[in-house]
Amino acid sequence: MAIRRQSAKLDLFTKLAIFVIVLILSVLILIPIGNVLYKSFQPGGIDVLRAVIENDYTRQIIMNTVWLGTSVGAIGTLVGFLLAYVQVRVNFKGKKLLHVLSLLPLVSPPFAFATAVIVLFGRSGIISNGIFDKQPMIYGYKGLVLVLATSYFPVAYMNLLGMLRSLDPAVDEAARSLGASKFKIFRTVTLPLLIPGIGASFLLLFVEAIADLANPLVIGGDYTVLASRAYIAISGEYNIPGGAAYSTILLIPALLVFIIQRYWSQKADVVTVTGKPSGQVDMIKTPHAKYSLLFLAWTIAAFVVLVYSMVIMGSFFKVLKVDYSLTLDNYRYIFSGVGNDAVFTTTMLALIATPIAGFFGMMLAWVIVRKIKRGGQALDFFGMLGLALPGTVLGIGYAFTFNSPIQILGITILPQLAGGGAILGGAVAIVMVYVIRSSPAGQRSGIANLQQIDPAIDEASASLGASGGRTFRKISLPLIRGAFLTGLMFAFARSMTTLSPIIFITTPDTPILTSLILAEADTVRYGYAFAFCTLLIAIVLVVMGLINLIVRKTQGTGYRPITVSAG
Amino acid sequence: MARDTGNLKLTNVTKVFGNGDDKVTAVDKFNLTIKPGEFVTLLGPSGCGKTTTLRMIAGFETPTEGDIALDGKSMKNLTPDKRPMGMVFQSYALFPHMSVFENVAYGLRVQRLSKSEIQTRVADVLAKISLSHLAQRAPNQLSGGQQQRVALARAMVVEPKVLLFDEPLSNLDAKLRAQMRVEIREIQQSLGITSVFVTHDQDEAMSLSDRIVVMRNAVVEQTGTPDEIYRKPNSVFVADFIGRSNFFKVDKIKSKSSGKAKIEVNGKRMEVPAHPKATSTSNPVLLVRPESISVKAAKPTKALGTVTNIVFYGNHVEYSIATKHGEITAIESDPVYDEIVQPGKGATFEFDSSRSWLIPSDGTVVHEE
Repeated sequence: MAIRRQSAKLDLFTKLAIFVIVLILSVLILIPIGNVLYKSFQPGGIDVLRAVIENDYTRQIIMNTVWLGTSVGAIGTLVGFLLAYVQVRVNFKGKKLLHVLSLLPLVSPPFAFATAVIVLFGRSGIISNGIFDKQPMIYGYKGLVLVLATSYFPVAYMNLLGMLRSLDPAVDEAARSLGASKFKIFRTVTLPLLIPGIGASFLLLFVEAIADLANPLVIGGDYTVLASRAYIAISGEYNIPGGAAYSTILLIPALLVFIIQRYWSQKADVVTVTGKPSGQVDMIKTPHAKYSLLFLAWTIAAFVVLVYSMVIMGSFFKVLKVDYSLTLDNYRYIFSGVGNDAVFTTTMLALIATPIAGFFGMMLAWVIVRKIKRGGQALDFFGMLGLALPGTVLGIGYAFTFNSPIQILGITILPQLAGGGAILGGAVAIVMVYVIRSSPAGQRSGIANLQQIDPAIDEASASLGASGGRTFRKISLPLIRGAFLTGLMFAFARSMTTLSPIIFITTPDTPILTSLILAEADTVRYGYAFAFCTLLIAIVLVVMGLINLIVRKTQGTGYRPITVSAG
Repeated sequence: MARDTGNLKLTNVTKVFGNGDDKVTAVDKFNLTIKPGEFVTLLGPSGCGKTTTLRMIAGFETPTEGDIALDGKSMKNLTPDKRPMGMVFQSYALFPHMSVFENVAYGLRVQRLSKSEIQTRVADVLAKISLSHLAQRAPNQLSGGQQQRVALARAMVVEPKVLLFDEPLSNLDAKLRAQMRVEIREIQQSLGITSVFVTHDQDEAMSLSDRIVVMRNAVVEQTGTPDEIYRKPNSVFVADFIGRSNFFKVDKIKSKSSGKAKIEVNGKRMEVPAHPKATSTSNPVLLVRPESISVKAAKPTKALGTVTNIVFYGNHVEYSIATKHGEITAIESDPVYDEIVQPGKGATFEFDSSRSWLIPSDGTVVHEE
């Protein structure tokens, strides 16, 4: 019989936890976003909103944004699918290597790729000039699609890899025994089963693409999208309501897609949880199919390697495209003065934000899965907003909200947290952005893990007299420690590489690496930019490695969850 | 050794899930008083509301209406951790990241007992369930039966006033289940803790309980001792759910007095014990348990039916006989092989009328399991 859980009366700890969660979500995301909406309906903002209907130029920006999102979504999903399919259905040497290369773009700062692509293929680029001797059109739409699809395809890859692995081979075998050819099986069985996953991946990439700010600034050229337009409105034209209005317009497709994607991923779960595979996966052995798939996969991998080597090698060349002698000058530069500070500040702030984000994400997951019946969906939705909202919109919201003290009835509730003259040089607002951007990763993995743990384990603790807080600390948290630490890892990587929200609230007192890289890339000092990027990647990898080490250490105790579940 | 605390009283307990058009009543006006030290089983098919009732007692569900009181004190507004009850779960719900010792000690640590006292009490209870040698093992290194015992020990060690069991034996194999039944009963008796046990297994209910509550579609169908439930069921449903049963059509009701009726079945007059409501309904049926029926070979003219199948078990033989009442099952113990009536042959049967029971029929068609 279906027993509805979570109908017991809530204890004090849980009530308190829900209160704190709602408070944090309000301050960190709801108020800033509300502010953006409010500002966009001020005079100036209204003009922009009106121009959407009347002005061809503004409409073109919207079309550009949607078209860019669609292209990146389609191409990135296709690439991710190809790599996942090859990984699961083809036998070849170097599988592990291809897997690592397929995930590599996850840890790069968003514009490392853009910069590298410019140096390789841009105006008098190494390859475009040196080999082809012509001026390719890398700036604008094509370049953006190339760079964004390369940066974000790992998201689709991870999604689809999981789904492909959990497809029950018995389904394929059934189709085969009914006389279907391999290609027909692919078309009529495999693909339809993956549609929810493919749809979800497409939408995720769509949102990432339209929200991206750094790449349109560096490589966008004349191809203006909403995110870059909002940035220019605020930092170039000082048209605050205008920037807010562009953000609001950007918010609409992002939210819409987020909602569709949630609906879709719920359906995708049905396919993902099919239990243990019951047969042997039918590998692709036909030579021409196998080798053309492998050729495509390795070509993509080679491109990733090429771009990465460009970033790393570029940081050691004296003057790119002019003098290729090796030097440490770039590093000497970035470690002198502001670069030094930025490395320290960024790492420190990310390290502060990471455990907060991880803990907050887990807390949300626990309350959503275990404690509340109604409102869980809503809480989950608002928790995930930090990831779903375009960083540009978030950053603008923070600038609006926290650049002055928040007062209610003349009493200061919060001091000025962001911008010049803020307490701690605006560091508080940056940590807040890091937390709200990265806690969704912990929330998501926490929910997935908790759902696999028998709720009776929590109930057993309660029936032995343990309070809600004790149960969370002694039972739930230790059981999802693996998810917790993985969540931390992604939180840290995400914090270190995030740019679009930061750019609006960073101050000279708190230099942030990503915004420094953008400045260097913007002023065509690629060597410095590459040195920063390399350093950033190194820090991320080292910290991720350390967290990984901790995970293994703490999980080696031999106590694993028993997988007996209530019938 | 019955204790004087642990008096559990459920008054009009009702649970409605959902709202609007989606309403499902899981438990409807459940009333029961359990004496200190009594072992009560909630028995019924899945979906009858027995588990929901147990979870309301534990505090994991809040009753929509009604009250649950322990020793006269309402439990209604207490969260599960504030109720002096221990629960044994169907999935055992052992903490996978703690050793057996730590699992059992958990409730004592919550009570902030001294280290030495925890040590002694855990050691005592582990000895009682003969698992002392496995104290440092992780739960997933134990067999199902051992995990089950740890779960029991963990619930017992805090000396709750009430022990709650949610189908704790359903994940064990048949042999182990029988063994654990005996163990649970022994431990419960020696501690004298009031116990509520949920199961859909009638053997478990019969062998463990002081009293059985049979539930069906959210309501209590009958409450009684195992003997009452078996010998004097309130309805065809209870009779059919507990043990195996034959229902004979009654030809005539001659007379009725309190608790007795003179009736005619298969052309034979007999006086049978009767349910008070049985004689007032239009067509009561006579319940006869298979083991009460003895079978004899008969000529076709005298036969009451034809044997359709026999199953020989050595210590007993089971007959299926096609009759005008439908298929009748008879069990004869210690049979002489050569005297068994073979399939296709005509047979008569008789039974001791005092071992039968006249019950009201609600008109539902009755099937063997």
